[in-house]
Amino acid sequence: MPTMRGDAMRGLAVFISDIRNCKSREAELRRINKELTNIRQRFRADKTLDGYQKKKYVCKLLFIFLLGHDIDFGYMEAVNLLSSNKYTEKQIGYLFISVIMNSSTEMKQLIIQNIRNDLQSRNPIFINLALQCVANIGDREMAVAFTNDIPRLLISGDTIDAVKQSAALCLLRLHRTSPDSLQLNTEWTARIIHLLNDQHLGVATAAVSLIDALVKRNPDEYKGCVNLAVSRLSRIVTSSYTDFQDYTYYFVPAPWLCVKLLRLLQNYPPPDDPSIRSRLNECLDTILNKAQEPLKSKKVQHSNARNAVLFEAINLIIHMDCESSLLVRACNQLGQFLQNRETNLRYLALESMCLLAASEFSHEAVKKHQDTVINALKSERDVSVRQRAVDLLYAMCDRSNAQDLVQEMLTYLETADYTIREEMVLKIAILSEKYAVDYKWYLDVMLKLIRIAGDFVSEEVWYRVIQVVVNRTDVQSYAAKIAFEALQAPACHENMVKVAGYILGEYGNLIALDPRSTPIIQFDLLHSKYHLCSPTTRCLILSTYMKFVNLFPEIKHHIQDILRHDSNHRSSDVEIQQRATEYLKLSEVCNPTVLATILEIMPPYPEKQSPLLVRLKQKKPLTEPEGVTESQSPPPPTTGHNGDGPKLTETALHLNQQHQQQQNGLLLSLDTPESNGYYEESTSKPSSSTLQSAKKFLFKNSDILFENDLIQIGIKGETIKSTIHIELYYGNKTTLQLTNFSTNIFALGELESELRINMEPVKSTIDPRAQSKQTGTIDCLADFRDLPMMNISFLYNNMLQKIDCPFPIYINKFIEKAEMDSNNFFLRWRNLEKPSQECQKIFPAKFPMIHEDCRQKLDDFGWSCLMGIDVNAENFCGAGIIHTTSQAIGCLYRLEPNKQANMYRLTIRASKDGVANRLVELLDDQF
Amino acid sequence: MIGGVFIYNHKGEVLISRVYRDDIGRNAVDAFRVNVIHARQQSRFPVVNIARTSFFYTKRSNIWLCAVAKQNINAAMVFEFLNKMIDIMQSYFGKISEENVKNNFVLIYELLDEILDFGYPQNSDAGVLKSFITQQGVRPVTREEQTNVTSAVTGQIGWRREGIKYRRNELFLDVIESVNLLMSQQGQVLSTHVAGRVAMKSYLSGMPECKFGINDKITVENRTKNPGDSTNPTNNSTANNSTNPTTTTTAATTKTAIAIDDCQFHQCVKLSKFESEHSISFIPPDGEFELMRYRTTKDISLPFRVIPLVREIGRTKMEVKVVVKSNFKPTLIGQKIEIRIPIPPNTCDVQLLCMKGKAKHKSSDNAIVWKMKRMGGMKESQLSAEIELTPNDKKKWNRPPISMSFEVPFAPSGFKVRYLKVFEHKLNYSDSETIKWVRYIGKSGLYETRS
Repeated sequence: MPTMRGDAMRGLAVFISDIRNCKSREAELRRINKELTNIRQRFRADKTLDGYQKKKYVCKLLFIFLLGHDIDFGYMEAVNLLSSNKYTEKQIGYLFISVIMNSSTEMKQLIIQNIRNDLQSRNPIFINLALQCVANIGDREMAVAFTNDIPRLLISGDTIDAVKQSAALCLLRLHRTSPDSLQLNTEWTARIIHLLNDQHLGVATAAVSLIDALVKRNPDEYKGCVNLAVSRLSRIVTSSYTDFQDYTYYFVPAPWLCVKLLRLLQNYPPPDDPSIRSRLNECLDTILNKAQEPLKSKKVQHSNARNAVLFEAINLIIHMDCESSLLVRACNQLGQFLQNRETNLRYLALESMCLLAASEFSHEAVKKHQDTVINALKSERDVSVRQRAVDLLYAMCDRSNAQDLVQEMLTYLETADYTIREEMVLKIAILSEKYAVDYKWYLDVMLKLIRIAGDFVSEEVWYRVIQVVVNRTDVQSYAAKIAFEALQAPACHENMVKVAGYILGEYGNLIALDPRSTPIIQFDLLHSKYHLCSPTTRCLILSTYMKFVNLFPEIKHHIQDILRHDSNHRSSDVEIQQRATEYLKLSEVCNPTVLATILEIMPPYPEKQSPLLVRLKQKKPLTEPEGVTESQSPPPPTTGHNGDGPKLTETALHLNQQHQQQQNGLLLSLDTPESNGYYEESTSKPSSSTLQSAKKFLFKNSDILFENDLIQIGIKGETIKSTIHIELYYGNKTTLQLTNFSTNIFALGELESELRINMEPVKSTIDPRAQSKQTGTIDCLADFRDLPMMNISFLYNNMLQKIDCPFPIYINKFIEKAEMDSNNFFLRWRNLEKPSQECQKIFPAKFPMIHEDCRQKLDDFGWSCLMGIDVNAENFCGAGIIHTTSQAIGCLYRLEPNKQANMYRLTIRASKDGVANRLVELLDDQF
Repeated sequence: MIGGVFIYNHKGEVLISRVYRDDIGRNAVDAFRVNVIHARQQSRFPVVNIARTSFFYTKRSNIWLCAVAKQNINAAMVFEFLNKMIDIMQSYFGKISEENVKNNFVLIYELLDEILDFGYPQNSDAGVLKSFITQQGVRPVTREEQTNVTSAVTGQIGWRREGIKYRRNELFLDVIESVNLLMSQQGQVLSTHVAGRVAMKSYLSGMPECKFGINDKITVENRTKNPGDSTNPTNNSTANNSTNPTTTTTAATTKTAIAIDDCQFHQCVKLSKFESEHSISFIPPDGEFELMRYRTTKDISLPFRVIPLVREIGRTKMEVKVVVKSNFKPTLIGQKIEIRIPIPPNTCDVQLLCMKGKAKHKSSDNAIVWKMKRMGGMKESQLSAEIELTPNDKKKWNRPPISMSFEVPFAPSGFKVRYLKVFEHKLNYSDSETIKWVRYIGKSGLYETRS
C-alpha cells in the first residue's frame, strides 16, 4: 500500500461533492447508479482490496444508504473491516453495521465473533468501539452472546475506567432491550454493587443507572446497595468529605450522581439500621439546609442543579413517608417555591405537594398553603400549572375545608380552560359528595355545577346525583324543589333537564301541594324543554310523564295527548316511538292500582365505590395520588360501568324490553336498572370477575354479557326442550369501524361431550355505532357443570382487541316448568330419597327476605313455583324437568326461609346423581 | 381560469411570477416549491392540489413551469397552454434554460401579458405575437403598422396580415410521425399507434387559398363515389402519390387509403368545408405552423423489429443477445438508431460484442446503449452481452422492456399527401408557379419490446 495516501479518502469527498452538485434528482440517481456499479466491480470476489480502499467504498455505500437508497451488498466487506487493526477502518466497519444491520443469521454470527474478539482485545479503544456497537444494535441474540463478556469487563480489576463506564452503560442498554435474556451471574452482584464506591465519577454514575435497572427487576438480590448508596451520598453531600468535591457543576457537587442515588434509594423502604437511617436523614437534612443558603451564582444552571437534587430528595422523603420533621420541612421548602418567579419551579412544587398532601404527617402542613394555591389557580398564566393547582386542591381537601375549596373551584370553573373542565367537574363532584355534611349543600353544588359546566358533566356525574337523591329520603323533597327551580331558568342544559326530569318523575308529588309547582305547572315546565332535547333525553322525559300519570292522575289526559302526538307516537326514533306506544297503552289499559305497582318509586341503590373515582382514574391514571398505590389492581373495565346508575345505552334498553315483554307482557319503567335481585348481585362486588357478572344470566333470558369502552355484547336466549336458541348482539360503541371481527364459543374438556354448540358465523366488520347480530343454537347432550368459553377478537384502530369471558349457559336454561298437585309432589319427593339424589344447604340471606321476590326469582330460574303444597305458606316448593337430548331429568325443590335467623334452607332432589348439587351451587348465593 | 403562472429554476427559486387573479395569494408560490419541488417524495402527478388550489406543472430542462388555478378548470387546456408557452419562448429565444429566462424576463412578462388576459388564454401564435412583441426595444411605430397590428389581432383572419410579397413562392410540407409500440417477447404486438403531425412552412405572396389532399379513407371513398368532382391531376406534381383518381379502382383505394382515428387542424383550416366536402382548405399563416395532427392505429408498418434473448446462467451470470431487423424498402435508410437494453441493478461488469455500430454499458442508467448511425432496409444486426452480477437474493429483477429510437424517411402509417394546391386570385400567380417540397419523417415514440 502506498504510504502517501492518508486517511483523507479523496474519492469519497469527490463523490459527495458530485452528489451535492447534482441539479436534479435524476442526475443524483444516475451518479449513484454509476458509483454502485463501480463499487460492485471493486468488491468482486476475485479482486483483492487493501483496507483503505475497503474503508473508502464502505463509506460510500454508507453515504448512499443515508441518502435513502437500498444497499444489498458490501456487508461482508464491512465485517472484514471489523477485524482490521487500524482504528479508522474498524470505526467505519462498526459504523456501517450499526447503521445497516443485516438480519441474516450467518452474518450476525460473524459480527458477534468479531465483536467478541474486540471485547477480549487489550486495546481499550477497540473494546469501547465494540461496546458502543453492542449498545447501539444489541438485541436478544447479542444479549445472550455477551452475557458473560461484558459483566466481566465491568467487574475485572484491570480494565480502565472509561471501559468500565461503557460496559455499565452497554449492559444497561441490553437490559432494557431484552431484560429476560440477559442473565447475570449472582456471584457478580456484590462486585457490581461495589462499583458505587468507584473513584471515577463516570463509572459511579453509569453504575448507579445500571443498578437502578437491576434493582427494579430483582430488589432482594441488590439489597446491599442501600448502605453503599447512603454512604456515598453522604460523602458527596456533606462537605466534610472530599469525595467528588472536585466534580462540581456550578458549585453543586456531582448533581447527576446525587439525583441517581436518591432515585435508587426510592426503590427500597427506609433502611432498618438506625445508623444508616440517621445518616440518610442527615443527608436529606443537609440538602434541605443547602436550599436555604443564598445562591452562589446567578447562573440558571446553578439553581437548576441545586433544585434537581432538592426535588429528588423531597421525592425520597415522600417515598419514605416516616420522618414527619423532614416532611414538614420539605413542605415549607415547597411553599417557598410556590412564590418563585420561575414557572417550572412552581409546577414542580405543586406536583410534589400533591404527593405530600397524601401523607398523614404533612397533610396539615400542606393545608397552610391553601390560600397560596387558590391564588395560584386564579393568577397563574400557565395552564399546566393551574392544572397542578387543581390537583393539589383536590388532594388537600378534607372535611374542614371542603366547603371553601369546593366554592373556590366552582368559581374558578366558570373561567377554567376547556381542557381541564371535565376533570374539574369530576373532582368537584367527588369532593362535594365525600365531604358533604349536609346533602342539601351537596345538591346545591351539583346543580350549580351542571348549570355552569353542563357540557363537561359526564353521565356518571348526573347518575351519581340521582343515586344520592334516591338513596336519601331526607333530601328528596328538597331535591324536587331545587330541580324544579333550576328548570325554570330560560336556558337550561340538557343534563339539567335529565336530572330534573328524573327527580320530578320520582318525587314531583312531594312539592305538588305548593301552588307554585302544581302538577300541571311541573308538567308544562318539563314539556317546554322536551322539544329542545336529544332523543335519549326525550325517552327519559317520556318515562317521567308516565310516572306523572301515576303520581298525578288529574293530568293523565294531557300526557296521553302528548304520547298520542305524531312526533312521539310516530317518531322516526324507534325508541321514542316504542315508549310512546307502550306508555299510551299502559295508561289506557291499567287501573290505578296496577299502575301504582308498575310505576313505584325506585328502590335505593346499593352503596359502593363511587363510579366517579373510577372515571377520574380512567381519565388520569397518574395524577391521582391514590392511583399510585392502587394501580396494581385496577378495577376491571367491565364492572366499572356495569349496572351503575341508570343505563340508557341502546342495546341495554332494547334487550331489557324484549325480556320484559316476554316475561310480563308489561313494561316497567325503562330507565331504571333491571329488577332488583340480580342487579345487586352483579354490582355488589365491583371487582369480581366476569364470571360473577355472568351469573346474573341465571334468571334472565337476555342481558348485557360484556361491556367496555369499545363494545357491548348483548345476549338473548330462548329454550325449546334441550335446545337453546342464542342471539348475540355486538354493539360497536366507538366512532371507528371494528374489523376482522371474529367470535368463538367453545366447550372445554368434559363439557365438549355435554354441550353441542352451533354458532352462525358473524360479520367481520361492525360499522361505527352499529350493531351486528349472531345467531346459533346450543344443544344440551347431558347435564353439565362448567361454562363454555367465549373468545372475541377484533381490530379497533388497527389494534388487536381480545375479550375472553365465560359464556353464561347454565343447566337451568334447560329446565321446563312442571305443574303438579300436593299429593303428586310429595309422592315424587319421596321417590327420590337416595343420598346421591338429594342436596341440602343452609345459607344466610343476602337480600331482604321478601316473599314475592323469592317467588319471582324461582319462577325466573325456570321451574314452577307451586302454591299451597307445603303446610307452611312461607315455604316454596316446585318442580322442573331438565331436558337433555339423551334423557329428561326431573327435579324438585323446597326452599324454607327462616326470617328470625335470616337464613334459608334449600333442598333439591333430582333424578340424576350430581344434578341436585349443581343446582344448589347455582342458587345458594342468590337469595 | 388560470390564476397565475410561475417559472422556477431547478433549485426552486422563482424566476417568473405572474398572478392574474386575486384568488391566488402570495403564498401559492411557496406552497408549490415546498410541496412539489422540494418534496421528500418525488411527485409523480402532473397536477397537485394544495390547500384547494390546483397546480399544473411541467418541467423543461431543469426549469419548472407551473400554472395555478383556484377554480375547477379544464386541465387539458392548461397543459396545452403551458406547451404553447414553451413553444413561444423557444421561438423567441431558443433553448429554455435558467440563463435564457433570466436574460429575457422583460420579454417573458410582456408575452405573459399578451397571451393570458384575466386568466383566459388569448392568441398564442408565435408568428402573430412576433409582429407586435419584438426584442428590438422601443421604435416609433407608423400608423400603417398600427392598423395592421389591430386588424391582425382583431380581424377575421388573425393569423395572416395583408400585403406579403415574395419573389419566389415556396412552401415546405413535413409529415412527421412517431410510432409507439409495445411488443411481447414472442414478437406479438401488444399495442401500437402512430401520432403524426403535418408541419408547414409557407412563403407565399398575398392571401393564397390552399387545398390539401390526403389519402384518408373517408376522403378517398368520397371521391371515388363522385368521380366528376375530382380536380385536375396534373396539379399533383410534388406529391409522391400521383395516382389518378379517375383511373383508380376501388380495390386500390382501400389498399392505399388509411384510416385516421382522429385528427385536429390549425385554426386557419375551414372546418365547415371539411365537414361538408371532406376537403381541407385554408389560408396559411406566413412562416412556420402546424397544419394538422392525427392518430392512426391500424395497418402500421413497423420499421424495426427487436428480438431479445435473455438467459440467466446461475446467480452471478447473465447472457443477453439482441437482434434488430429493419423492415422497410432496401432503398431507404434508417438513421439515429439507438437501442437501450436495461440490465439488472446488481450488475458489476459487462462484456459487449456487436457486429455493427457502437455499444456501451451505461452504469448510471443501468442499461446497455447500442447506437448505429444508419441502417439500410431489410438488414439484420446483432449484439451479444455477457453480464456479471453480484449475488442478490432479496429482490427479483423485473426485466423492464428494451426500448429503441430511430428515424426513417417514410411515414409508417402509410399517410400520403395527395396534392396541395395554391390559388391566389388577386396576384394571379398560378399553382404551378409555386415550388412545393414534401418530406416524410418517421420517428420512434415509445418503441418497446419486452425481454
